[in-house]
Amino acid sequence: MKRLFWVFVLCTGYFLLFSVAAYALDANELVRKVEDNFRGRDVHMKMEMRITSARHQRTIRIESWSVGKKKAFMKILYPPRDRGITFLKLGNQLYQYVPRIERIVKIPPSMMLQSWMGSDFTNDDMVKESSLADDYTARVIRQDGPMVTLELVPKPDAAVVWGKIISVVDTRTLTQVTDIFYDDSGQKVREMFYSRVRRFGNHQIPTVMRLKPLEKGKEKNETVVRLLDVVYDQGISPSYFTREALRRFSR
Amino acid sequence: MTKVSVQVTSPGRRSDVFPVEEGAVLYLALKNILHYRGRTIVTFLLSFLSALLFITYVALMDGSHEHSLRTALGVYNSALHVYERGYREQGGYDYLIEDVQSVESLLKRVAGIRAYAPRLETYVLLSMPSDSAGAMVVGIDPARERRISSIASALKQGRYLSEDDTNAIYMGEELALRLSCRVGDTVALIGTATDGSFAAENFKVVGLFRTGLFQFDSVAAFVNKPFFDTVMLSRDMASYIVVSVDDLDHMDRVKSCIERLLPGDLEVVPWTTLMHAQVQAMEVDSVFGYISMAVFFVVIFFVIMIFSFLNISGRTRELGMLRAIGLGPWDIFRLLYIEVLIIAVPAVSLAILTGVPVTWYFEVHPIVIKGIAETYRQYGIISDQLPMRCDLVTILWNGGVVFVINLLAVIYPVMLVNRLSPVEAMRHV
Repeated sequence: MKRLFWVFVLCTGYFLLFSVAAYALDANELVRKVEDNFRGRDVHMKMEMRITSARHQRTIRIESWSVGKKKAFMKILYPPRDRGITFLKLGNQLYQYVPRIERIVKIPPSMMLQSWMGSDFTNDDMVKESSLADDYTARVIRQDGPMVTLELVPKPDAAVVWGKIISVVDTRTLTQVTDIFYDDSGQKVREMFYSRVRRFGNHQIPTVMRLKPLEKGKEKNETVVRLLDVVYDQGISPSYFTREALRRFSR
Repeated sequence: MTKVSVQVTSPGRRSDVFPVEEGAVLYLALKNILHYRGRTIVTFLLSFLSALLFITYVALMDGSHEHSLRTALGVYNSALHVYERGYREQGGYDYLIEDVQSVESLLKRVAGIRAYAPRLETYVLLSMPSDSAGAMVVGIDPARERRISSIASALKQGRYLSEDDTNAIYMGEELALRLSCRVGDTVALIGTATDGSFAAENFKVVGLFRTGLFQFDSVAAFVNKPFFDTVMLSRDMASYIVVSVDDLDHMDRVKSCIERLLPGDLEVVPWTTLMHAQVQAMEVDSVFGYISMAVFFVVIFFVIMIFSFLNISGRTRELGMLRAIGLGPWDIFRLLYIEVLIIAVPAVSLAILTGVPVTWYFEVHPIVIKGIAETYRQYGIISDQLPMRCDLVTILWNGGVVFVINLLAVIYPVMLVNRLSPVEAMRHV
């Protein structure tokens, strides 16, 4: 009887241990799957960004091409004053070309936290956002049917801005529902809401992303990104991901 | 042996104590001072030099602090800034003053304002083909700015901005070093316009300045505001309006006048708030200065006390004799204190009379230590000059402190000698 008891305890222990490991693996795997779903092998998008602040509202239209998580190229289509400005992301480096001054500029580290195009996104967001799976350790903190709430904590050696991210993921479509970003002191800094999931080829992705900063003085600020046209996995020429492309595709 | 006349005035007192008339004590004190010349001269010099040292030390400390603050103030900040409420806390384009001309028309009516000018402060990327750096580019009115700040006079190479300039930029030497650019080079400015759109323009470097404020020189650059407004879409807008006053001592009155006229969504911020960190640093430095002086005074106090003790105990037999012929302990106390007063009053007075012209001279002709600004520039020291501050009230209380120390230093020796009976004192060897 006693022996039977110990066999039961050991089996239960092994079961719990494997369950926890499997759960941890699932959380990180889930983040990777969500990112892979959104990114595809390659993707060509047309989008619209509406930026609202206390005194202004403006709309930008952007066309982007990206391959994997390291390479991305963006071009501003609208408004006319900004038309032709191009951005190139190569790994953690961000370059931009401004036709008016005919110069390619590499954004220095000191400017990475500056606003991108006057929006609530920063230059750093344009480079780092896609490396959630690489820079953060995820764990499931709640599961409510298909909705899983993940806590993403930076890996010890990761050079990231956020102290923590709480992300709600819809496991049916492998899309994010909300992201809440915290700073190092545990203070909520901004929220991102994802909605209107649509299917593009084999990928279901949210087509509206609303970013709401929570800092004092930015109560009226909001940036909404709407995806207008998305094409996945059609192959993108490597010529987009060179510094020369910034000038060439600006026109 | 000194002669003294005694007189009984109070029959109720102890029979061996005879109150001595004031004139006799004064006469006795003067005779003692003249008799012990060496002691008198040393005590006089000790009091005089410690008072003079204290006066000049405090004058130098206050003077150099005030000089640092005023120089830093004159470089860029000036006396008052007029802001849209929220700008200082949040910054950004949502808190710009949007009707500069109407605010300026209100400022025109305030007496005591020497000059005012709008500034548009933006944080942008400046780029050369090889290097890029974040910078604070400020749109200014070049002519009006001359009357407010010393940016124009800080010119080191090239020229200052003119009112006709368009694509001209005047930048800090350290910023030019970061960008590896020189006068005549073209630098690209990339930033965000006030409506959130992209702002980009090429500017020719027309001049370099060095204010000595290292941080400032490594991030600041200036452009002509009317042209900058076309790039940043900021016509009739300003981050703030900078105001200089005729007399800094009347700044609070001017501030109140402006506040009464301005609408409620604008605020007036004085330089003491703008430069709060520097003011606090100076105050902390002053505290440490006074702590060093306190240590110095403890030393001075004990030196004077030991010197007084040796002198008084050397005169124990003489003081015992005085007690024996009828002087009471209170008379001895008075006698020795009058001696101290006779020495300390002229010593401290002379120190004050010497201190006033000395501190005045070094206020007008500051001490110059070559290279001090270069060595300590990261601490905000921007001048090799170390002026003193000639302030009569400060000098008077400095002298008063040394005088009080002199008085305190004699208490213990007097008490000690008064503890002995006349017979014990006369037998003292």
